[in-house]
Amino acid sequence: RPTPDPNVSPLPPGSHILFAQSGKIEYIPLEGHSLKKNEAKTALHLPNHSDQSSRSLRSDLFPAVLNLCSPEGIAVDHLGRNVFWTDSMKDRIEVSSLDGSQRRVLINTDLVNPRAILTDPTNGYIYWADWNRDAPKIEMAYMDGTNRRVLAKDDLGLPNGLTYDPQTSLLCWADAGTHKVECMNPQQRGRRQLMEGIQYPFGLTTDGKNLYYTDWTRGAVVVVDRYARREVDEFQPQKRTRLYGIATAHAHCPSGQNYCSTN
Amino acid sequence: NALTGSPGDCLPCPCPDRTTCAQVPETGDVVCTNCPTGQRGVRCELCDDGFYGNPLGWGGKVQPCVRCECNGNVDPNAVGVCDPMTGRCLKCLGHTTGDHCEKCRSGYYGNALANELNPERKCKPCACNVAGTSGSPNDCHPDTGKCVCWSHVTGRDCGQCETGYFNLQPSLGCEMCNCNPIGSSS
Repeated sequence: RPTPDPNVSPLPPGSHILFAQSGKIEYIPLEGHSLKKNEAKTALHLPNHSDQSSRSLRSDLFPAVLNLCSPEGIAVDHLGRNVFWTDSMKDRIEVSSLDGSQRRVLINTDLVNPRAILTDPTNGYIYWADWNRDAPKIEMAYMDGTNRRVLAKDDLGLPNGLTYDPQTSLLCWADAGTHKVECMNPQQRGRRQLMEGIQYPFGLTTDGKNLYYTDWTRGAVVVVDRYARREVDEFQPQKRTRLYGIATAHAHCPSGQNYCSTN
Repeated sequence: NALTGSPGDCLPCPCPDRTTCAQVPETGDVVCTNCPTGQRGVRCELCDDGFYGNPLGWGGKVQPCVRCECNGNVDPNAVGVCDPMTGRCLKCLGHTTGDHCEKCRSGYYGNALANELNPERKCKPCACNVAGTSGSPNDCHPDTGKCVCWSHVTGRDCGQCETGYFNLQPSLGCEMCNCNPIGSSS
């Protein structure tokens, strides 16, 4: 039985778990590594596409909202001030500056249903998962799209959620086909199973100690202790509709430098 | 805004079922914050992902949100599979098409509504024999898959000569056998 890691760093105050549900982004404050569920609130109401005026307004502010088909995953490199996203209809991965300028297609081959994407800003990597039913896979590349590598392709089903913990250099994914959470160190390979028999994960995030995933069947945010390898909490919003992406928000971005921040 | 001191300071939320709302400080826009189950949008006028309708009857009559009908030809793991207002399916699979993924795409034939787990088997490519077809290799009857054949050419894909004909040639079709009736056994 794995012992709890004593090196789990305490979370800075002001950390939150954010998740998307039905045109809204909700947040739950974190205290230590526990959800303060009674303080859950709506962070943002998203203007919706029945309102044409708000749509054109947003494309003024952020030109990259134009010409999207099914953007399902988004990740920010806060050091390089870039945003990466997947589009599962155009079957590609794109990047732009945080202000929406400098947009370009990074990867447009061998993608079928790219969804989850994340960045490792310190090392200049992006990771993504493709839930293509015929050949699901988890891949990585440099932030400029070069040096693309497949990290996992066997025994995958629908890897919907993906997260990376820079402290332990572990990439973890939640799979709605195999009903498992698995992790791997992308530099060393070698997969290990963290959970099995979970229901229908969609989004996945971590705060270093816990994993948090949204579940379509349970309509909840489920909290898993990574070291004890068991479920420790859940949050079920009042509204009973699907939960989508989930993210950890810290009060401050970790500082550092990568090649995108220098040129 | 309760601070201006006039009788119209507090207005009822323009939201269905007396649900709550909030005013965006920068723009003054009012958004509903607790739409009834299955609804979303600034005024709860939209249906949730995977459902369609017109729950408030904007620009037409009220239609409650119902699940989109894509005839099993969309992936249950996909998001945004249909238009929340018209219900038109946006992510038809297995070479199906149509508002409800109810027919085969051009260049394919079969039954898009077949009770078949593998969507690839519902609609098969026309794949007409290039030599035997007078049309495009992707041009076939949407149900039967019959390609348009040159004269005396037969078969679904125009790959065979009719009885009594041989030598399938591109753009020419098949030649008559011309066997001497006296010397032939058939």
